[in-house]
Amino acid sequence: MPHPLTRRPLSRRRLLAGAALMALSSLGFSSQALAEGPWQRLEAASERLGDATPATEGLVLELPHVSEDGAAVPLTVRFEGALADDDHLSEIHLFATGNPAPEIASFQLTPQGGLPEISTRVRLNESQEVIAIAKSHRGETFATAREVRITVSGCLMRGDDQGPEALANPRVSLPERFTAGEPGEVRTLINHPMETGLREGADGETLPRHILERFTVTLDGDTAFAADLHQAVSANPYLRFHLSPTEDAEVVFEWQDDSGESARHEASLSLG
Amino acid sequence: MSQHDDRTRHTRRPGLTRRQLLQGMGAASTLPLLGGIAPFAIANGSAGRVVVIGGGFGGATAAKYLKRANPAIEVTLVEPAEVFYTCPFSNLFLGGLRDMRSIAHGYDELRDRYGVRVVHSLAEDVDPDGHRVHLANGETLAYDRLVLSPGIDFRWNGLEGYDEAAAELAPHAWKAGAQSELLRRQLEAMDDGGTFVMVAPENPYRCPPGPYERASLVAHYFSQHKPNSKVLILDAKDSFSKQGLFTAGWERLYGDRIEWVGLSDDGRVTRVDAENLEVETEFGTRHRADVLNVIPPQKAGFIAERAGVTDDSGWVPVKPATFESERVRDVYVVGDATVAAPMPKSGFCANNQAKVVAAAIAAELSGRSAPEPYWTNTCYSLIGPEYGISVAGVYRVQEGVIAEVEGAGGLSPADAPDHIRALEAEYAVGWYNAICQDTWGTSV
Ligand SMILES: Cc1cc2nc3c(=O)[nH]c(=O)nc-3n(C[C@H](O)[C@H](O)[C@H](O)COP(=O)(O)OP(=O)(O)OC[C@H]3O[C@@H](n4cnc5c(N)ncnc54)[C@H](O)[C@@H]3O)c2cc1C
Repeated sequence: MPHPLTRRPLSRRRLLAGAALMALSSLGFSSQALAEGPWQRLEAASERLGDATPATEGLVLELPHVSEDGAAVPLTVRFEGALADDDHLSEIHLFATGNPAPEIASFQLTPQGGLPEISTRVRLNESQEVIAIAKSHRGETFATAREVRITVSGCLMRGDDQGPEALANPRVSLPERFTAGEPGEVRTLINHPMETGLREGADGETLPRHILERFTVTLDGDTAFAADLHQAVSANPYLRFHLSPTEDAEVVFEWQDDSGESARHEASLSLG
Repeated sequence: MSQHDDRTRHTRRPGLTRRQLLQGMGAASTLPLLGGIAPFAIANGSAGRVVVIGGGFGGATAAKYLKRANPAIEVTLVEPAEVFYTCPFSNLFLGGLRDMRSIAHGYDELRDRYGVRVVHSLAEDVDPDGHRVHLANGETLAYDRLVLSPGIDFRWNGLEGYDEAAAELAPHAWKAGAQSELLRRQLEAMDDGGTFVMVAPENPYRCPPGPYERASLVAHYFSQHKPNSKVLILDAKDSFSKQGLFTAGWERLYGDRIEWVGLSDDGRVTRVDAENLEVETEFGTRHRADVLNVIPPQKAGFIAERAGVTDDSGWVPVKPATFESERVRDVYVVGDATVAAPMPKSGFCANNQAKVVAAAIAAELSGRSAPEPYWTNTCYSLIGPEYGISVAGVYRVQEGVIAEVEGAGGLSPADAPDHIRALEAEYAVGWYNAICQDTWGTSV
């Protein structure tokens, strides 16, 4: 049934009340608090930062507040800050503070990537804080964190899942045409069990670790984007990122797993 | 004052008990003193004014149970429809197992037996500071406590190409009524050998097992009337509610008639072409449908946003123990609109949550503290007319959040014999009759 949506302007009072609420709800994340943020308490993260005190504005993590399926929580990390003209974001690292192993993934970015915005799907063991850290080519650092509550709803109980075949069905979606200097969205998906090495099989034996470790994208042989993946990336790794080629190029996507096997996908990028 | 007139009229309705009549009159006689927005310290018989928006599972239950808790509370229920068609069992209608009348309910009992004032209009706006609700019919209602149970609205164009016009060609049928009838007509008109394509959404959405029950019952209809036809589910998820039970049931009853393509096999639809009944997935696969059912992304009913209770997810965060809004005082929200996970968005949960809210409001209005809540839920799904499965849960507040009580509830056994499935199908009908009796008390 369509609802007639006759808009009524919000009263000033209501707007103010809203603003006050927002201020309240972000209290725990004031810049000050973030400078001593959770990354200081997580060794894997603080190692990445060294002595640097990261800026707490600019890096944005998007995750649902509440997720009903900890096995595949959609995550987007994006850089909205400003850098010097000759600088660019070169690394982003993601951590799950409440997982048995905190590393989720590390991304290497280049100017060929154009837009620092990456999406993937991650495993979160329990309710926890997720951390993102980024560095620029010239050494600027950024950090942010987001709280996620994981509830597995009874109505959402999983069926027995048989792991997918490793490295089957590499899929790539590219824009039909790239425009020089403008970032185009690229999405990739591949079948892989991403077996953590922590799980028991039906016979009670621990299933051996078997994960996709590295993903690279080259343009005419030069690395344009790369990712190191850990157990916390969901089965059938999905990555959404950007490429910004400056001229026609051969693009090669390569996925490598920890058994030494790999899969490739090649395409020609044309500007138009 | 129009409110005064309305209330006076209300107290004269036939069918009220003498006691209700007296209380109603008491309320009416105090009205001129109230000035509409005074916080409620109300003397002389009225125990406070509660407005309930939405006459579905949550709202109708809240209205009734407020009156049951204390008949002196003035309860006004705002709901545009005079007949409410339940989504539960609308899949049976689609499968040809029921008619629409059997899932229709009305508001006579709430009005005549419980003394709820029922206003058939749409709430257009809420002024939380002034404690007022503005209705499409021009009326303004003042409240001491407000209950919202507006269900869901769709994020039109949240899925490219799927807007209200597209829903006339490729129905969602995710609110029951005209959309269910449209989808049923399309299924009936489809030639044998056709494909019914369903686009299933990512979490969270109304009724987690609903799409898979629908696929089952459409497959049942095909097996009876269109034996060469197929069902294809394109899913934005890699797993779904009761998946193992559904998959086993599909195999048992329908062989390979139903095909499910999950997220990791490029099941996520990113574009809908309703005119040509075609959809395109994230990695560019195109699927042609003969009948196309798109279950679009969802959010809380728009009035929740107007009341200022939604967060940036589009849903409503609530205080777990009472379901009062986390953001706006004196506004309580129940049902699909809320973030109540791990409780699913089900009619059963909406009904339970509404009872908790009714108890909390009745207690508060009389200066007592709200009782400690718990909730139960059972989701029955029919895979065939004589093949039912279920999942049940019990929930409590633990460490400040809603949590499923471990060891309570559970899933139908994986290897149950046919007669157990048949019994569960009977229980499903029993459940439906009971919850509708509890919520509306009437069939039309
Ligand atoms: C196919 C299908 C099958 C399902 N099967 C089951 C099942 O077997 N068991 C189960 O427990 N659940 C089932 N559900 C889920 C169930 O329908 C919902 O969870 C339930 O309806 C939620 O109740 P509610 O009160 O939140 O919303 P609703 O029941 O949708 O009620 C909302 C009401 O609010 C009204 N409204 C909205 N906005 C306004 C406004 N601004 N002013 C006035 N009125 C307004 C609407 O008209 C509507 O009547 C199913 C759902 C679907 C789609």
